[in-house]
Amino acid sequence: MSWLRIREMVRKEFIQLFRDKRSRPILILTPLIQLLVFGYVVNYDIKDIRVALIDQAQTRESRLLAESFTAGGIFRITHRPVDARGMEELFLNGKADIGIRIPPDFSSRIRRGETADVQILADGGMSNMASLRISYAVMVLDRLNTELVRELYGRDLHYGKIDARIRAWYNPNLDSQNFFVPGIVAFVIMLISLLLTSIAIIKERENGTMEQLIVTPLKPIELIIGKTIPYTIIAVGQMVFVMLFALYWFDVPLAGSVLDLFLATCLFLLSTLGVGLFISTVSKTQQQAMMTTFFFILPFFMLSGFVFPIANMPEVVQWLTYLNPLRYFLVIIRGIFLKGVGLHILWPQYVALAVLGIMVFTGAIGRFRKRLD
Amino acid sequence: MNMAGGNNTEEAIVVRELEKRFGAFTAVDKISFTVRTGEIFGFLGSNGSGKSTTIRMLCGILTPTSGEAKVAGYDIVTEAEEVKHAIGYMSQKFSLYEDLTPAENLRFYLGVYSVPEKEWAERSAWILDMTRLAEARNRLTRELPPGLRQRLALGCALLHRPRILFLDEPTSGVDPITRRHFWNFIGRIAGEGITVFVTTHYMDEARHCGRIVMINEGRIVAAGSPEEIIRGTCPGKPDADLNDAFITLMKTGK
Amino acid sequence: MNPRNIQAIARKEIYHLLRDFRSLYLAFAIPLLLILLFGYALSLDVEHIETIVVDQDRTDLSRDFIRRLGAGSYFRITAQMPDAKAVTEALDHGRATLAVIIPAGWTADLRADRETTVQILLDGSDPNFAGISRAYISGFIENYNRKLLADFLDRQGMEKIRPPVEGQIRVWFNEDLESRNFIIPGIIAIIIMIVGAMLTSLVIAREYENGTMETIRALPIRAGEFLVGKAIPYFLIALIDVLVAVLMGQVLFGIVMKASFWLMLLASSLYILVALTLGLLISSVTKSQMIANQAAVLITYLPSLLLSNFVFPVINMPKALQLVTYIVPATYYIDILSGIYLRDLGLSHLWPDLLVLTGMFSILAALNVIVLKREGL
Repeated sequence: MSWLRIREMVRKEFIQLFRDKRSRPILILTPLIQLLVFGYVVNYDIKDIRVALIDQAQTRESRLLAESFTAGGIFRITHRPVDARGMEELFLNGKADIGIRIPPDFSSRIRRGETADVQILADGGMSNMASLRISYAVMVLDRLNTELVRELYGRDLHYGKIDARIRAWYNPNLDSQNFFVPGIVAFVIMLISLLLTSIAIIKERENGTMEQLIVTPLKPIELIIGKTIPYTIIAVGQMVFVMLFALYWFDVPLAGSVLDLFLATCLFLLSTLGVGLFISTVSKTQQQAMMTTFFFILPFFMLSGFVFPIANMPEVVQWLTYLNPLRYFLVIIRGIFLKGVGLHILWPQYVALAVLGIMVFTGAIGRFRKRLD
Repeated sequence: MNMAGGNNTEEAIVVRELEKRFGAFTAVDKISFTVRTGEIFGFLGSNGSGKSTTIRMLCGILTPTSGEAKVAGYDIVTEAEEVKHAIGYMSQKFSLYEDLTPAENLRFYLGVYSVPEKEWAERSAWILDMTRLAEARNRLTRELPPGLRQRLALGCALLHRPRILFLDEPTSGVDPITRRHFWNFIGRIAGEGITVFVTTHYMDEARHCGRIVMINEGRIVAAGSPEEIIRGTCPGKPDADLNDAFITLMKTGK
Repeated sequence: MNPRNIQAIARKEIYHLLRDFRSLYLAFAIPLLLILLFGYALSLDVEHIETIVVDQDRTDLSRDFIRRLGAGSYFRITAQMPDAKAVTEALDHGRATLAVIIPAGWTADLRADRETTVQILLDGSDPNFAGISRAYISGFIENYNRKLLADFLDRQGMEKIRPPVEGQIRVWFNEDLESRNFIIPGIIAIIIMIVGAMLTSLVIAREYENGTMETIRALPIRAGEFLVGKAIPYFLIALIDVLVAVLMGQVLFGIVMKASFWLMLLASSLYILVALTLGLLISSVTKSQMIANQAAVLITYLPSLLLSNFVFPVINMPKALQLVTYIVPATYYIDILSGIYLRDLGLSHLWPDLLVLTGMFSILAALNVIVLKREGL
């Protein structure tokens, strides 16, 4: 194998890449925009629940109810519709998340020692948010009940009850960014190494220069290495950029070892480059390559645990994710960033990545035919 | 500069019963011919006759279905690596890197042909001078007129000093003046001992060749020097040229 | 505009598509893949939380507590660990995301009417999951406390004190709280963007790269005719994709439109037009397939997924990003879709969205013509 030939191929590739003025900003912009968007967009925290309140009782107790909701700072009474129709309109127009209707006999029933019903309406549109909002509402009611009981029966009921001490580990404030940003690192690497590699090879074919290369002593393996090295370098460069950004702009903690991360990245790249190579062998035009890449990236991305938890997927699909290198890479990268663990705990993932990577890459090389037939 | 190994200073290319089939279609039907060192050898035929397929087999781009051939003394199937070091190739599309300059294109091929780095400067200068591209060396190839690009493509094919030069329809779409310069150049190269193998469908260009082979539908229909072929196919017509010869051959059906 | 010119361009584009079978196949396969993925595999709902328990008390009561914990579908008790250290290891390894630790003396405290504690440890890595898990476990403990209270009152011989306030919870729109119900309609928006914008973003750039744009410029074809002709095949593909998506949503997942199908068709067609003109505009401006593709992902696909109130609530985003969502076409289309699928809304509520989409289409179309004319078409 001639390193001279490989070196010249890599050099040529870089010249071509950077000569195209438009590709330069794209290389910076793509990861940056993704970082910003994912960092600020993907956020399921319940910050502000808009409440539409119909208070048909207008008594001290009903006001107490309203205050217990707003006290925590999470619920905010944004509308007070006059009737059920008004409430419905608000919901239809997406202006309220929770609706509360306090019936006229609210206080009288309470004072009589009976149970007063309060209607809680939830917009089920975004169901995961709805579930959370309902849970919070129920908790408010529970706290209200404790206080009302104390008032009504004049004493604190000292009984054995459980005080739940809840602590979140690894991401104590439950920052969404900490969860997603490491994933973006993975995604960015995947996109570059997969897509650009296959495009680079196909362009060579489309230009006709592939034929010229075949006639030269350039060996298939040298061609492959020459084509993958530049994009590996760029992918790693982008990864460093994303990581620095994550660390210093988003304050994402990095609890583990950078070396472990680097090792995982190399193994991960084996898979992605292999897939990129494979796509270049089955696509004849750039358009085909792009569509095929998208067709691959989509399930890889969706079934990796990046946004949607793997545990929620049907059994069959969960088994399929074992074939997804991104799945392992995400576990590793989140482990390193958030949990501070490394090779000694995550070695099964490393092994899986290595096995997958080697299989895919060697398979793709085998398939890569330098000859036109 | 001679490459070690290989042999045969007499016959640059030997082809025996070479065949290429694509499924049921036979593109090259068991052809045989020889090319002597230092000659300009023409491979003539209309489009689709099998000449491009043949040249690609000889260059190692396609694998023959059956038959054998030796280029520069090396077998094209088993010693493909050595063949590639010994030949240069220029295709009709002048496959150059449009977004690179001539200097960068040359440097790339110098590397790919494993020419020792210390010789690069000298080689580059030699080629740029020979192809008269020295002034345009740092302009983007995409911006060069077709004539200059043709020369660059030729330069890239020669910079590793191959023994045999394969040219596939080198003058397609090129103006007559450039074409004349081109053939002058080819003549000079051949004079220095480089064997030139040319395919073309311009029959009139074949007069530049020492010997030619005419191919139609995958089979050789005529072989010999231009004069021999004309005399053979159109006896009694003193002004006949290769065009007439070819048409006559087509009409007689074989 | 000359219909014959349009027809010629459209026909050429259709031939190209038919010959490039792979792209055509993918134009239908990708949407199907998306629907299957989102319908079957992807869900934001939280269930079967993998829980480990440390019972340092080991009495009947603590065992009963654990049994109740694992009884529903929320928590799945995977293991019982001997001590807290084992918990650390399990969480580090990702074998569980929730740990419940019952201290020694727990039962004794409760029976003596003393307050006691239970330690809960959450894996906070996935905030969505963690937040909901936290809410669920809190809810469970609150529920258990209510039971303890009732027992206490019983033991004291007090009359049953009823809870003063009881919440009657009703969910409107998507009553079964399946994330699938709001995700599937949203997928249609993404499908249209992929087929309508990403595919078309390559179309004109390809002509530039192949050099055929020169030829077209020399023909007596006007910019408008060129655009319409190019758009027609992709419009048809996108429309077919929409109908297939709707059908699959209905047949496979039982997701049915609550409102008018024709309104949905109208809105979809409008949105397709917006997607097409957007894609073609990107194509005309970038003139390079590779760049067009990357630009398309950034401008069409990502915003439709992230900034359209599809899965990620716009409300939670910083103000700056919220403003951006106003210029994302998918925002309005998804609003219409959720209105039709979940809320049974009609033209009277949805006309503003439709108006915005129409406006976007007009602007994009005009820009497209300007760009092409500037290039000499």
